[in-house]
Amino acid sequence: MGGKGSFDRFKQLDFMKMDRRTFLRAVGALGTSLFLQNYRSDIVKALEFAETRIVWVHGGECTGCSESLLNGGEPDLLQALERLNLRLAYHEVLLGQQGIYVDGKLANTSELNSELLFEEVIEEKGYILVAEGAIANGPAGTGKYIMLGGKTYKDIFRRAAENSALIVAVGQCATNGGVNSADSEIKDLMDFRGVAFTMEDGEKGILRELGVEKPVININGCPPHPDWMLLTLAAVVLGKIKVPDDLPAVLDEWLRPKVFFPPDHVIHDNCPRRGSYDKGEFDTVVSGEKCLWKLGCKAPYTHADCATRRWNGYHSFCPQSGSPCISCVSPGFPDSSRPFFQEIEDVGIAGTNIDTVAKVAIGASLLAVGAHAIRRTVVKEGPEEKEQEEGPEEEKQEEAPGKKAGKDEGGDQ
Amino acid sequence: MVEVTVDQLTRIEGHYRITTQVNEEGVVTEAQSMGLMLRGFERFLQKQDPRDAALLTQRICGVCPTSHSLAAANALDQLFGVEDAVPKDALVVRNIHQALNTIASHATHVYVLWGTDLSNPAYRDILANFGDTGNAVWNELLGRFAPISYRLDGVDIPVGSGYAAAIGEKRRLHEAISLLGAKMPHSVLAHVGGVTYGPTVADIGQLAAYYWQVMDFVENFALGVSPETWVENTHFASSPQKAVGFVVDRLQELVDASLVTYDFSRAAGWGDVPLYAAFGSELVGEEVLGLPVSMRLDRIGGYSDPSKIGYLSYGVFFKPELGDGYDPTSPPDSRVMPSGFLDGKLKLSRFDHRKITESISHSFYVDSESDRLPLEGTTQPVSDPDEIDYSQGVESRYSWVKAPHYGGIPCEVGPLSRMLVMQDPLIMGLMDLFREKGYPAPNTYLRMLARMQEILVVASELLKWLTVDLDPNGSFAVPTDLSMAKDSEGMGLWEAPRGALGHWVSTGSDSKVTVYQAVVPSTWNLAPRNTAGVPGPAEQALLGTKISAAGNALGVDYTNPLGIFHTARSYDPCLACAIHTVDLTGRRKEQVRVI
Repeated sequence: MGGKGSFDRFKQLDFMKMDRRTFLRAVGALGTSLFLQNYRSDIVKALEFAETRIVWVHGGECTGCSESLLNGGEPDLLQALERLNLRLAYHEVLLGQQGIYVDGKLANTSELNSELLFEEVIEEKGYILVAEGAIANGPAGTGKYIMLGGKTYKDIFRRAAENSALIVAVGQCATNGGVNSADSEIKDLMDFRGVAFTMEDGEKGILRELGVEKPVININGCPPHPDWMLLTLAAVVLGKIKVPDDLPAVLDEWLRPKVFFPPDHVIHDNCPRRGSYDKGEFDTVVSGEKCLWKLGCKAPYTHADCATRRWNGYHSFCPQSGSPCISCVSPGFPDSSRPFFQEIEDVGIAGTNIDTVAKVAIGASLLAVGAHAIRRTVVKEGPEEKEQEEGPEEEKQEEAPGKKAGKDEGGDQ
Repeated sequence: MVEVTVDQLTRIEGHYRITTQVNEEGVVTEAQSMGLMLRGFERFLQKQDPRDAALLTQRICGVCPTSHSLAAANALDQLFGVEDAVPKDALVVRNIHQALNTIASHATHVYVLWGTDLSNPAYRDILANFGDTGNAVWNELLGRFAPISYRLDGVDIPVGSGYAAAIGEKRRLHEAISLLGAKMPHSVLAHVGGVTYGPTVADIGQLAAYYWQVMDFVENFALGVSPETWVENTHFASSPQKAVGFVVDRLQELVDASLVTYDFSRAAGWGDVPLYAAFGSELVGEEVLGLPVSMRLDRIGGYSDPSKIGYLSYGVFFKPELGDGYDPTSPPDSRVMPSGFLDGKLKLSRFDHRKITESISHSFYVDSESDRLPLEGTTQPVSDPDEIDYSQGVESRYSWVKAPHYGGIPCEVGPLSRMLVMQDPLIMGLMDLFREKGYPAPNTYLRMLARMQEILVVASELLKWLTVDLDPNGSFAVPTDLSMAKDSEGMGLWEAPRGALGHWVSTGSDSKVTVYQAVVPSTWNLAPRNTAGVPGPAEQALLGTKISAAGNALGVDYTNPLGIFHTARSYDPCLACAIHTVDLTGRRKEQVRVI
């Protein structure tokens, strides 16, 4: 994890000679800024690599992930693109083009028409596809709940995915369906899907529905931290993560890079309010300065580096600003985190309907990882028997990415 | 007649299509505004803890999440019965939070989403006819507004200086927000009864530092004069004539110098706002200042029938001097930017939230009635795929956006409406001038200028909230308990950067949500036709638009309908916000009371 100690260690290392494991630790420990500054000369060498094209598509989303990307630190997105020799070949929010039809026919050229640009770009193949937003499968499997340029987004995504070298799903909507897939009476009618998963269900990823097999990296979060996106792209572009060979080793069971979503670390471990937690001092009204456990904080079972990395200029993260962690990086978000403001004890460690893998996994990691104290002081009764289910992480990574069903543990429910 | 369709209109939030019929003169004779994406936001709030809404509803939109979280918090204040008690300092923090978001959102729109169209090659072709002046201006436009990965005739164009700098300023503003709300987008902070975080003295100092850095950008990049000077002489001018006079005099000095030197750079005083203010308008640029050429954006984007349009603001920013608590109905004297309704002839009347209805006659929803109050609306998306067809013309259902009205009238919402309701002297003065001279009033030029002006107005208030009104030793939240939300209702009226935003919520005996409803800015602006067949504001504004650059100055080019891009994007469309479904079953009707 981060901190000044690891920074001092890593900045001494020769980036090009680093083994992959060390490289990934360095990528994880340093922000984009420090990473790219420290390894600038190495990255200049890396520029001898060919230009990498990024095709960024938007489905059912709020554009918050693109907004977050633009919040990348020093150097900013534009500098990062330049230094990593990336070409943002297609992005509906940032580029100049738009779809133009005259009497139903595509008009002008790809310099002005985004539809023509899209065709040109996917024709070239070999790009990294970044998917933001969920894919509508409804109504009735047609995908017509999202249409662009007269085509369904489902079909656009399929074509973009088929010609890609790698799919990076950014944000909860693309990784797991996110708010689009939250429980409601029209959820099944809309039938929004994530790329490789829908909520915790690996069977319902849109890739499986489409019959497309591609390597997938999930950058969870609502939105994801810009470092998580930019550093993952950097590691892939610089060849430090070989796709697909290295993916099983560097990704967790939800296809998240372990370096940012560490299986052995939860946000609670480094929370600045941890001291008041240890003393048993809890806030019950917002805007205080004590532990937020009784206000529903989910940091004790949330695997992310928010507390050490922090957000937007590396200032803060949710509990620091007085709001409980809502575990927006968990595959089942938001359902697995609701209600946000009730102490976990009140709703039961694994929620009221303990029928999903994620909820069991939450129970397990809550007890297993850094939360023994919670169990001692707060959890009166809970699924203690889950504690020993948390097996060694490495052994779970054998299956090919994109195929994970997420059903390989907690099946005793 | 030629059918020109823009699908999708990019550089907006979400997925949006415009289909127009264009005659031989290159003038739009019919327009349809179409939202292309179904979302299901309010439905998943039902049966849930209402407090989650402040964090969840902001996920509607990653560009204006702050506005949704604050509208939701306002609705929850009333739902929990604490609206009279929310501490003054919590209200000031809400103001600061919204102001930072509004400035960031407007800057992104002006430079990245809308401004990019100023580097469209059609302007190169037009300006090429105007010698050294034309070439110099084109170099400025391209050098400032070219987007990422831009190519012209196969040549890679570097990212524009304004485009790049605006991204940096937006990042800076988001960093400022994160001092209070942890992260951006999707901050924390907004919460029933107050805010989750009380800023420290150190935070206030750091926020002020961010503020002055952004103001440096405004002065050096955008304005060319200090923001204080600008606001004092426009927004606080003693009359509309004086405000317009200040701007025109300033521009005239620049023009007189630059028509000799051919230097239109920022260094010569041509900030992005003066450059736009002079060259965007035929009236200001060509008629008043004597420029040889302009983009003639004041010739497009107006409303031809004043009986079919209004301008609406719900009011925003609590007045700190009123102390703790606030009136959720948003009376005009209770907000820094007041609520109000102007009819098509600019007659101002008092805002009454009970006049808001929504029509679904041309939207992809099924209901026994086509017009309902927001809290009575039942929104059932069509489930037959064959019914989702965007090609069946103006009589059909053609959008996922509903059509809201105020007293039966479609309304423009957003910075222009706020500036008009607020009677900003510069915008009012220009309205009058355009009308006198036979130009559309308002128009696309003025809609964008109002957004730029609002950045400065909000910034001047922000400094006061930050350095005068905010007491770090104050109180930032009142205690609440879920039981306080039993069998209750709440309304949150607010203004997002894009315009009027309302959240409505009601709960049952278990304090869980029975109804959640949001009526959002882009639903107003991008509405399809209503039950009476009246087009929505953007549809009306596109009628009569000359589709090619500068009023078809080089003839009609159907393949580069820049007039459509400019006008449609001038509303800062946000489709994720505009589209939401509320209720499939309609069974919540019996639980509704009029608030």
